[in-house]
Amino acid sequence: MTTTSPLQIGRLLRSTTSGCVIGCRASELNLPVFGGMVRIPLADGTQIYGLIHNIQIDDDGLIRQLITSDNVPPDVLLDNRNNRNVPVEIGVIFIGYAENGSISHLLPPRPPLSLDEIFTCTAQEVISFTGSGRFGYLRHILRAEDLPQAELLAAHIRQAGMFHRAQGDPGWVQSITRELVTLLRDDYDRLMSVLSAVGDVNLP
Amino acid sequence: MPVNYLQIQGQIQEKCQQARQNQAVYRERLEQAAALLTRYAADLDFLRQRVEDAQRADVSLRCAVPLNERLDTAVSPPNLAQLPLLLAADGSQINPNRHDSVEFAVINTGIFRILPAADLTPGEEAETQLYLLEDINNPAAPLTEEVVALRRDLNERRLLADRAGRETTRPVITLTDGPLELYREPRENQLFQQLFGEYLSVLQKTSQQEAVSAGYVDKPGSDLVIRLLELAADSRLDVKETTRRRPLGGVLDRVIFAGLLAPGQRSAVFVIQSSMAERFAAFDPALQPCFFYLNVGIHPERAWMARVEITRGVAEKPALLEALHAVLLQQCRQMGSKPYPYALHRAHEIALITRLEKEQIETMIARAMRAMGLEVGDKSAKQYHKDNL
Repeated sequence: MTTTSPLQIGRLLRSTTSGCVIGCRASELNLPVFGGMVRIPLADGTQIYGLIHNIQIDDDGLIRQLITSDNVPPDVLLDNRNNRNVPVEIGVIFIGYAENGSISHLLPPRPPLSLDEIFTCTAQEVISFTGSGRFGYLRHILRAEDLPQAELLAAHIRQAGMFHRAQGDPGWVQSITRELVTLLRDDYDRLMSVLSAVGDVNLP
Repeated sequence: MPVNYLQIQGQIQEKCQQARQNQAVYRERLEQAAALLTRYAADLDFLRQRVEDAQRADVSLRCAVPLNERLDTAVSPPNLAQLPLLLAADGSQINPNRHDSVEFAVINTGIFRILPAADLTPGEEAETQLYLLEDINNPAAPLTEEVVALRRDLNERRLLADRAGRETTRPVITLTDGPLELYREPRENQLFQQLFGEYLSVLQKTSQQEAVSAGYVDKPGSDLVIRLLELAADSRLDVKETTRRRPLGGVLDRVIFAGLLAPGQRSAVFVIQSSMAERFAAFDPALQPCFFYLNVGIHPERAWMARVEITRGVAEKPALLEALHAVLLQQCRQMGSKPYPYALHRAHEIALITRLEKEQIETMIARAMRAMGLEVGDKSAKQYHKDNL
């Protein structure tokens, strides 16, 4: 979900120079979406940008036991969603940062720290970041071979493409697709997979 | 050096062989117990008299006494339109250890509040009490493991009484894991007397607030009813002789009641006869510990028995007994194939102190002591090596 005002979706559990894992309460899980762009403000004013590539809901012994029950009443459901410390982990890949108002598609100079807040990006932030430069951030996604790249790119293009079109730039989707073709021209299989996923993107 | 599995294997074979030989005796005793239960099911006055006589001969006698229902009573699950509010508490503790660099104790009590089957998020809270320095080293009242355990039980009940008092709806069920009756030793020192007195006062306060005090014993190993049946069976013998004999030794109450109670049914309510139970009754007759067995299982062919301890005040109020019966079943059924009250499990989860938390508390204490110029000792060499195993 990306709105006109940023919404806090969780706090940082662990991070590296290329990505991080956010923890959030199960009751707040309606905010982050796969492929959604997030922003992590650092204490020195730097803003790190990333894409959500994984949302993981773990179980524990009690959850496994409750599954065997005939029905789960609403109070137990609410207890597990709102009270219990069952971690919901959100994986984020870093795609760039902004420093002193200047956007870079390089990896951030330092990763965020434990318990830093993570926000969803507003439409304007998505447009500013993805409209800046020559899609340099795509190489971070294409390098991460363990991610569902084609699906992640399709989700990202759908979200950002919607904002660009609403902003009067319907050509953004064609531009990023062309860039992907260029970047993947020597990898036919991956290119076909990405183009197939992007072809499924239907902008509302 | 690992366990000597070869030796263990031999011992397992030997002990299983022995148990198999005793199996026939056990079966015979089980049949006798079931027959005695049927035979004396309605002779409540006779059974009460028999216990009274035996108790005079042996003051340490511990057994069940029928309250007002037949021994073979099986009460089906009540069908209540509205389940009562349930408050569950469980405690966890760190015992003082002289091998640690700082000797301290912590009691953490978890409280879980749930209005069963309602569309409301249950409430949870934890209360943590630290015992340090003077609390540990008081020669007049040393903080032994027994005292910590007693304080933990007292804290559970104190918090439940307090939280029950804040509720506006009635009835309120307050639930802890384990019996209401206390077994803590030593029973005769001044500190025990003081804490025991507080415990009884808290139970009384709960009772006066029209809240139910209940203790849930999962997979109970007691033979209180069996002991009663033994006394009944030996009615021709002198009571002094009877109290020493255990003709049905090895048979547990839960096995007998598993054959009697269908899923969801409870047994008759019994009063506990013991020296400790008498002290409860002496303080307030309404606090005398009673109990019933409850089949919380869902499959007719596989009973799962719990013993539920209550006070006599609750046992004599059918509406409260029904509310407790209904809410315990509802709670246990939420846990699927392993029936146990959900609220109690959650209270345990809240209360649990992990090893990591213990280490963090120890570090916090050592840091604060150093900051105030107090001397912090070293971990014992033995503990150091144990921690590094």
